[in-house]
Order: sequence, then structure tokens, then C-alpha cells
Amino acid sequence: MKITDSFTRIRLIAGTTFLEAVRQKFFNSLLLISIALVGSSTFFQQFDFGAGELKFITDFGFGALFFFGSILSITATTQLFFNEMENRTALTMLAKPVYKLEFLAGKFLGAHLLLLCYTLVITLVLSGILYWREMALLERLGNELILNGSLIRYGDVFLFGFLQWMKFGILAAFTLFVASFSNTNLYTIVVSFFMLVICQLQYIARDAYAGMEAGWERILVLGLGLIFPNFQLFNIGDQLVFDVEKAPAVSTVLQITGYGTIYVVAFILLAQVNFRRREI
Amino acid sequence: MSTPAIRIQNLTKDFAVGMRGMKLRAVDDLCLEVGDNEIFGLLGPNGSGKSTTIKIILGLLEASTGTCEIYGRPSKLVDARRSVGFLPEAPYFYRYLTGRELVRYYARICMVPRVEIDAAVDSVIELVGMTEAADRRVGTYSKGMLQRIGLAQSLVHDPQLVILDEPTAGVDPLGSAAIAEIVRELKRRGKTILLSSHLLAQIEGLCDRVAILHRGKLVREGRVDDLVEEKDAESLVVQGLSAEGRAAVEAEIKAQGGQLARVEKPRLSLDAYFLKEVHEREIEHATQQEGGEEL
Repeated sequence: MKITDSFTRIRLIAGTTFLEAVRQKFFNSLLLISIALVGSSTFFQQFDFGAGELKFITDFGFGALFFFGSILSITATTQLFFNEMENRTALTMLAKPVYKLEFLAGKFLGAHLLLLCYTLVITLVLSGILYWREMALLERLGNELILNGSLIRYGDVFLFGFLQWMKFGILAAFTLFVASFSNTNLYTIVVSFFMLVICQLQYIARDAYAGMEAGWERILVLGLGLIFPNFQLFNIGDQLVFDVEKAPAVSTVLQITGYGTIYVVAFILLAQVNFRRREI
Repeated sequence: MSTPAIRIQNLTKDFAVGMRGMKLRAVDDLCLEVGDNEIFGLLGPNGSGKSTTIKIILGLLEASTGTCEIYGRPSKLVDARRSVGFLPEAPYFYRYLTGRELVRYYARICMVPRVEIDAAVDSVIELVGMTEAADRRVGTYSKGMLQRIGLAQSLVHDPQLVILDEPTAGVDPLGSAAIAEIVRELKRRGKTILLSSHLLAQIEGLCDRVAILHRGKLVREGRVDDLVEEKDAESLVVQGLSAEGRAAVEAEIKAQGGQLARVEKPRLSLDAYFLKEVHEREIEHATQQEGGEEL
């Protein structure tokens, strides 16, 4: 079989997965709630935080993006996978000359595309609100706050969005891996949320590792640190947006992207191992 | 001798049940051959192993032991599925696509060349009689229409072997008759059809050969006529015979050393009776419509 044929099939499966996903009420509801939450941060202008207001809006927006994006990554991927199983569209699909890996990759890409839409919309809304508040602040406080023509580096808002999207990708791939052997939606969602918490707190294990002496405990912690991706790597929001001095180098961003990609590929391949033996 | 469409040899499938390594045998040492250009019926009650066998043929499940080949190629190879079309039981499709978009989508998945897609899609939609409804969303289709569009997607890449899992389940007798006619047309076009069903009346008039499974084992296999005919009895269908004539026939049978086993009125099957009645009403209705238009 030609590799180009494989890519075509993956693209087709991803396309229908995405179309199926954007029609889900859950996605639309979550998107609206996220927009409303990010938008509501403007009401905090009455507290007159000065330049701190922009930082507050940014943190609030990034927090909403991460929180609802994580929920969406796990629930949408679970729903898209189990819908195919329960409705038996997977049966029709896999009875065609389609590899199971192509099916899984298509499902993942469809879900990741959905998350891209979500991330783009939220970062656009956040940027719009930040711009509006920045203009209002500059009008009120004058130009003494401006360092390099603007208080905010909007490119960094999107860079943060991109890194979060990479993180959502890992989460979606892991969810797909759990779904590949799980029999219920609930189990998949619960295990994936545990994984999210572990990955968010993974830096604790890394700190412990740094302070440990050589031995099996150190090897165990190192192993856990490798199995579970470190999500803190993607949370560089503090370094972005405001602080020109601490702006991350392109190579750092590329390294984080590569790190995320490795985990995505690894989880999809693990999902394939389970899915091969699964009764459809 | 041509390669059989399906060759199953000593096929066994066990499913692990529970945590203690208990096994449930779904298919037990099954041996089966389906010849090319044959309509073959896989019969059996629920849980007899029909669907498991079909899934193994389609490469969706791996056999515990034994082999399964499609036109001489191991069925677990993805490439072997290029020559197979499959309609699952009670199919569900993406509801937001139109019938035409759905068939087109599966044509692209099966890598039908771009220049041939439109013709292939139109051709199968016409074959299953869905031309008028092809541009409606799948979500608006009735069960019978879903089965027909499902048949269209299974045929769009022109497979040599078509596998239909309970193709008439939940479909009304008219829809079932239409599907049966499509199956016959496929045979005329040189295709091989494997269908599983427990609606035996429909299978009887359709299949060349059948296999009966029970608890995963092959119970009987052969031509439908060979399996169901009473080898030691013949029936004479007589019309307009008087009581005296009948007594004379009975006496003659006795004189010839035979024995009249039973006398019964020839019957139409309920299925055939229903179709005849509906067909007559349809013709009546069409005539009335035409009359109304003329007025």
C-alpha cells in the first residue's frame, strides 16, 4: 500500500471526525462558556488594577483556556472514539482496506483539529479583550508604561495558545490510548483526568529526583518522570506576553514541541497495540 | 477449478471471559468453503457464531486457531479486504452527510480513482434504487433506506465478495424483497454474496447454498433444496378433481404399492401473500392516479 494512500485515508477520517465533533452540543457549550468566562474578565476593570489588570486578564484567560481545553481534550476524544464503537461506524470503516493505525491517527487528528479551533477562538477573544483594555489604559495613564511600543506582545498570546494546543494533543492521545482498552466512557474519562493531574504535578517527582541519591528509588522516579510527560514545560505563560527579557528562545519552543510530539506518537502507537486485539 | 471466494479451515475462536482466564468458544473447528459467484447463507440462532465468523473473515478479529482466506489470501491482511464489501447489521452512518456524500466518502476511503468516483457512486446508488433520495441527509432515512445506502457503500469499490450481516433485519417485507432483488442482481453481475440471517423464509428463496451453525459448530451445509426436500416423498398438485376422482387416485396409489401420506392445500408463504396483496394495491393506486391526472 502506498504511503500517500495512507495519508489520504487518515485525512478523510480526521475530516469526518472533526465535522462530527463540531456538531456536538458539548463542544459548542464549552466554547461558549469559555468565551463568556474570558469575556467576563473585563468586568474586573472596576477594580482599577492599572497595568496589573492586563496581567490579571491574561492569567484569567490562560487559566480558562487550560481548564476548559483539558476538559474538552478528554471528553471530546472519549466521545468521538466511543461513538464510533457504539454506533458501529468503526465496523463499517475497518471492514474497508483501512489499517487500525490509520483509523486511530484519523480519530486523533480530528480531535486535535477540534482543539485547534477551540484554542484559536479563545486566544483571539483573549487578544481582543487585552487590546481593548490596553488601549483604555494607555489613554488613561499615558505612554510612560510603554517599553517597546506596546504593553503586550500579542504574538506570545498565540504562542502560549500553541503550546497549550500541543499539551491538549498529548492529553487527547493519552485518552485515545486508555479508550483503546477501556470498555466505558466513564473509565476513560476518570483515568485521563488522573493522568492530567499527575502530569501537571510531575515537577514534584522531578524535584524529588534531583535530591535523591543513586538507587532503585531514583530509577523508579526517573522512570515515572519519563512515562508521564511534564505538563509544566508547556506552562510558560509567565515568561510570555509581558517580559521581553524572559521571552523564550525559538529553540526552546521547538524543543517543547518536539517533546510533545514524541509523547503523542508514543501514545498513539500504544493505543494501536491494544486496538489491534480489541473486538469491534 | 477456480479459487473459492472464502476458504475457512479448522477455525476456532475463543474469547477470554473474566479474570480467571475462562474461555468462551464462539466458533468451534469450523470448516467452510464459499464458491465464486455463489449466494451463500450463514444461518443460526443468536450466539451461534455467525457474526464472529464474519468478523474473522473481515480481519476484524484474529482466529485463535485455524485459517481463513479470501480468494486465496489470508483474510487478516488489509489488502485482502480490497475485494470485499461489507454491510453490518443495523448500520449507522454519519447523519449529517447526504446519501451521495456518504457513498462518495467510502469510495475515497477505498481509494477509488478520482476520475471514476462520480460514475461509481451514481451507478451503485442507482443499483440500490436510491437515486431520488441520494441528496437527502442520512439522518432523514428510514431503516430500509439506511440498509440500501449501506449496500451502496459496500459496493462502491466494486468488490468481488459482498458480505451482508442480517441485511433485512428490521426492514419491512417490501424493503426485504427489494434487497433480495439487489442480491440476485449482484449474482447476475458475477459477485459472490455471503449473507447471515435468521429470517429463514427470505434465505430459502435466495441462497444457492447454506450452512447452519449452532454453538459455533457447523451442523449442516449444502444446497437449500437438498437440505429441505423430503427424499422419500413426492407431491402431486391437482386441480378440479371430484370426490370420485380422488377416491380412484387413492385406490390406484394403493394398487401401485404406494401410500397416500397426507392431502393438503398448496399454500403461499405469508411473505409472498403479503407482497402479492401490496403489489396489487400499488397497481390499483397507480391506475387511479393516472385516471385522476387525465381528468
